[in-house]
Amino acid sequence: MKPGAQGLVTCVTRGAILQIYLPIAELPINVFMIFAMGGTVGFLSGLFGIGGGFLLTPLLIFSGIPPAVSVATVTTQIVASSASGVLSYWRKAGIDFKLASVLLCSGIVGSAIGVWLFGILQSLGQLDLVISLAYVTFLGTIGVLMLAESVKAIMRRKSGEEPMGRRPGQHNWVHGLPFKVRFRRSRLYVSVIPIFGIGSSIGFLGSVLGIGGGFMMVPALIYLLRVPAHVVIGTSLLQILGTMAVATFLHAINTQSVDIVLALTLMVGGVIGAQFGAQMGQGMRGEHLRLGLGLLVLLVGLRFAYNLIVEPSDLYSVSVIEEPVK
Amino acid sequence: MRHPLHTLNAVLTVALLALASISSALAETLVSAVSSSQVAITSNFTGTQILVYGEIARDAGTVARSDKQDVVVVVEGPLERVVTWRKDHIFGLWINATSQTYIAVPSFYAVHATDDLRNIASDDWLKQYRIGLEHLPLAALGTRAPAHERAAFKEAFLRSRVHQGLYTQNSKSINFLSSTLFSTTVDLPAIIPTGDYKVTTFLFNGGVLLDKQEQALTVAKTGFEQVTFTLSRQYPAVYGAMAILLALLTGWLAGVIFKKD
Repeated sequence: MKPGAQGLVTCVTRGAILQIYLPIAELPINVFMIFAMGGTVGFLSGLFGIGGGFLLTPLLIFSGIPPAVSVATVTTQIVASSASGVLSYWRKAGIDFKLASVLLCSGIVGSAIGVWLFGILQSLGQLDLVISLAYVTFLGTIGVLMLAESVKAIMRRKSGEEPMGRRPGQHNWVHGLPFKVRFRRSRLYVSVIPIFGIGSSIGFLGSVLGIGGGFMMVPALIYLLRVPAHVVIGTSLLQILGTMAVATFLHAINTQSVDIVLALTLMVGGVIGAQFGAQMGQGMRGEHLRLGLGLLVLLVGLRFAYNLIVEPSDLYSVSVIEEPVK
Repeated sequence: MRHPLHTLNAVLTVALLALASISSALAETLVSAVSSSQVAITSNFTGTQILVYGEIARDAGTVARSDKQDVVVVVEGPLERVVTWRKDHIFGLWINATSQTYIAVPSFYAVHATDDLRNIASDDWLKQYRIGLEHLPLAALGTRAPAHERAAFKEAFLRSRVHQGLYTQNSKSINFLSSTLFSTTVDLPAIIPTGDYKVTTFLFNGGVLLDKQEQALTVAKTGFEQVTFTLSRQYPAVYGAMAILLALLTGWLAGVIFKKD
């Protein structure tokens, strides 16, 4: 038995709570709590096929880890959780590399702007507000849309109607835009403008909110660009992987709040949880999964709204201004 | 214009100090020490305690005083700049609206004493030596807020620090082991900031400062924690790249371990 493992066992057998000191957040945390959080979110992400950043970041913030550290560290965790997904879609040829690279380039632009804005908001003392408002707005909207869509799908199935599929040759306003490029694997010929728009706004939100944005990216690619189902998740995962890697790097340089110990604890819990989630998800109906995900998204949004609307017990808060590195 | 009382105080202080130096051969002196001069933050750090102890030394010629003897121990962390925010109800939302910035406030502050501070010395003494939470110089930077506003912010700031365990004030927490030996334990919480600390021990007699002693205390991350932190601050690009590599490796490993086919 390795010395580390032995130490862990003694700690558990003694019934002690294993605390670990986070070098960047500069506070000790309960390893099992973080591990369980990573595991739970990993389970849900495996179940719903999402990154889970939008759940993990709020969980960390609500458990007392500074928002800046939570956001920056979750970007690193998302790199790990999307990496294994990318790998398996790559094997199945489920990635449109050309589309992913266009999305990625625009994602990098978006996340650079996001990290830059993050630093400014942090110094203005309004970072928490912007994070909360953004969570309320985005999660609220998307949660409601998902709920509506999945309830409709369930009703349709109950009444025995044919579900609406993608009809070949079906076009929308997006397909009328200029600067068209051909993406062979996706069998698409579309303008780069909406691709750039999707990539950069998700990159931006990702670095400001600490989310991968898969739950927004996948619907956007399906409904706006009509990317076929067999490449949409792999491509979206690759773009998220790239954008989050860049966001990690920029956060490390700009806000210096990536906590590698916290990230590793979350990753290990996350990848294990994801395996169980994925197994369970395979036995469930698509619209039921979307209904569950929609509810979850909406709940997180409401939790943030609660904090903004209900009078806080303490109106005052203290924040230390980081001294320049000596 | 200085207040005449202040001038009087200053004159008195100088006179007292002069008097003290003349009679120092006869007066009590203070000898104090800290249990360790270094607090190491390791991966299993969950806070610690330091013991501050000492002796009030009387030489043979010292006349036993009838006045009350008091010892005060102050542990002060490195100075930092903080902002205290207050939320206001704006457009139906609770938003950080007003703030006060304090420069050079201690990141950690603990005062232990043998008695209530107000029974030990006058406010002027306490203010001069930054003894007691309400005597910390908390001047807001460039504020034009009215006095009651400033007081509210100051109170909120102190409350928050006390709540976090970063500021403590414990009167009657110094034990006398004998008539001259004293000791006290100061709690250092898990979230203690790193840096150079100052441990000052004061000896008061009948409201007059007789002696003070100062020790240095260093709180520092060691080993892995220190290397990681230094790397993240001095070579952020390397640190960022390492974080990404670690994440990719973990993801890849998970993919290999849990491969289905």
